[in-house]
Amino acid sequence: MEAVAAFFTVFTQPELLVLVAVGTFAGIYVGAIPGLSVTMAVSILISFTFSWDVYPAISLMVGIFMGGVYGGSRTAILLNIPGAPSAIATALDGYPMAQRGEAGQAIGVTTVMSFFGGLIGIAVLAIAAPFVSDFALRFQPRDYMLLAVLGILLVGSLSSGSLVKGIFAGALGIAIGAVGRDPLTFAERFTFDLQIMEGGISFIAVMIGMFGVSEALQQLHNIDKTAVRQKITKIVPSFGTIRKYLPLSLQTSSIGVIIGALPGTGGDIAALMAYDHAKRVTKDPEVPFGQGAMEGLVAPETANNAAVGGAFIPMMTLGIPGDAVTAIMIGALFIHGLNPGPMLMIDQPDMFWFIVGALLTANIFMLIFGLTGIKIFTKIVEMPRAIIIPLILLLSIVGAYAVNNSITDVYWMLGFGVFGYFMRHYGYPLGPVILGVILSRLLDDNWRRAIISEREDLGRFFEGIFTSPLSLVLFSAVILIFVSQTPVWTSMKTRLFGKASS
Amino acid sequence: MQPDYRGDADHHDGTSDATPGGYAAQRRPGELAFAIFLTLASLYLLYEAYGISGFEALSAPGAIPMATTFAMVLSALAVAVRTAGLPLVQNESIRADILPVRVGVFVVLLICFGLLLKPLGFLPTALLFLIVSIKLLARRSWAYTLVVSVGSLIAIWIVFRVVFTVLLPSGIVPEAEFIQILRDLAKGGAS
Repeated sequence: MEAVAAFFTVFTQPELLVLVAVGTFAGIYVGAIPGLSVTMAVSILISFTFSWDVYPAISLMVGIFMGGVYGGSRTAILLNIPGAPSAIATALDGYPMAQRGEAGQAIGVTTVMSFFGGLIGIAVLAIAAPFVSDFALRFQPRDYMLLAVLGILLVGSLSSGSLVKGIFAGALGIAIGAVGRDPLTFAERFTFDLQIMEGGISFIAVMIGMFGVSEALQQLHNIDKTAVRQKITKIVPSFGTIRKYLPLSLQTSSIGVIIGALPGTGGDIAALMAYDHAKRVTKDPEVPFGQGAMEGLVAPETANNAAVGGAFIPMMTLGIPGDAVTAIMIGALFIHGLNPGPMLMIDQPDMFWFIVGALLTANIFMLIFGLTGIKIFTKIVEMPRAIIIPLILLLSIVGAYAVNNSITDVYWMLGFGVFGYFMRHYGYPLGPVILGVILSRLLDDNWRRAIISEREDLGRFFEGIFTSPLSLVLFSAVILIFVSQTPVWTSMKTRLFGKASS
Repeated sequence: MQPDYRGDADHHDGTSDATPGGYAAQRRPGELAFAIFLTLASLYLLYEAYGISGFEALSAPGAIPMATTFAMVLSALAVAVRTAGLPLVQNESIRADILPVRVGVFVVLLICFGLLLKPLGFLPTALLFLIVSIKLLARRSWAYTLVVSVGSLIAIWIVFRVVFTVLLPSGIVPEAEFIQILRDLAKGGAS
């Protein structure tokens, strides 16, 4: 009963409802403007909502997250520029449709299907999360440690081509998270005997630097690019169209939820896998894939929005983020004094149900805003980068300063911004860094707990892993990821599938 | 399909995300130097991590830092070795593709922003930053630059100072007094 009340909190408080609406609206446009990413928006916003109560802050961020995942599809269709990584697959068929003058139809179907996918993701979250958290209570410290390692590795290996660079990025993140005085023994770690290092590096400074400043610096490269106008006609799709693609969207939504729920994998991978799936199961599409097939739009868009609900499952129940954006959401929950993990569901179930309610509301607003206001949209997207980029940089500085009122944080932020800029250029993924920073504490604590409970004996530690089915599965997954990157695996795959990479 | 190794497309089509650019089978200018820098930095960090508690115990405060920095050294070294063996990209240069003058200028501008923020206060520093950067990027008239800068700064100030109640260094501008005047005005208007 209380769950129902908590679920409807958003609807009973007009202020929260407005915030979700504002967040979703902002998310759609932030996601749609090339050069602005959801990760950037959420990381900058955390610092601004820092002084707020927890409900309004979460309402706003949930809205931005939901809207942003959808918003990326708009520019993918209209400009062939995915506004967010999860919209990369959308551009493959969306842009050819726009070139044929069917941009309106493409946007309409995308919107409805995103709504549909989002709905399924949220439903699965509501049903599965309580079970997962019950299950998670039985997790040993070593399981948490393995999960954290697995999450960082998955982000490193799936979201980019080079696992080695992913491992480096993840390890760097963990090291950054360890800076300062050790909470257990008070020993100084990586402080270089400097006073200012003792408190550690604010993870918000790292986030804003990596995703805000480095992104903005990157965008300086294409400041002179102008948007191409597309004519947009009829948007709201007919019921028949929707019904036609319903079976496919059910399948791709399931893919989305599952991929999203895996620790370390998010909407971008879900969308690409769903696109592949649609290509395989659609026997004779009206238009070939890659030339504007409707199936090629439906699949990634349902999947990436379904992945939002999925990604919240490990985040809320285990405290392990699904991707960079959920890592930042976890950071936001930390700041507001919440501790995502199995205990959150027991201590504060109303918080969980409130978030589910907020997600659902954001999904509904996404449908409304998606099917209307296309005229304003084209105006906003054409806003010159020469103005947007300085504003982002300004907001990044304000954001980094605001959390601790500290100039040091601003310098850290700028430093990581420039460093992240080079990492981007040389093919090092940034997601694992953030995941590492967020998970550093959890990894460290659980490792020590696990090894102390085994009386500092590595043999007993591994014995524990091999005798517990859960630990064994997690451990095997970690090993599998490593093996999958070695030449042995590639040659095996070549023999099995005939081709090394798809 | 390799969505992440978009390579050259990465910095020309304006895509925006946290996934990296770079090439799978070629080396960009400066990439090897960066990889070597990372390797050396990781080695130094490993040395630092050893200094925390050495090999005292598996549960010592230095255990995880040592393990992670060791992983950093290994992976950075692997990347450096692999990068060294790749052919250099032919049509790119550091000046044009990696660190154009524009980016360098902005890094300097940002550092100046950080230096001036405390003594000068947020409003004047931000205004200066916006004017200089918009003038540089948009290359429009001074009138345009000034109107856009002042306009957006006012909007940002209202949203963040008033709505989000973010505290910013006030510096030389009597911000608190100004807000008080606004409050009094609002009160006066309401009664």
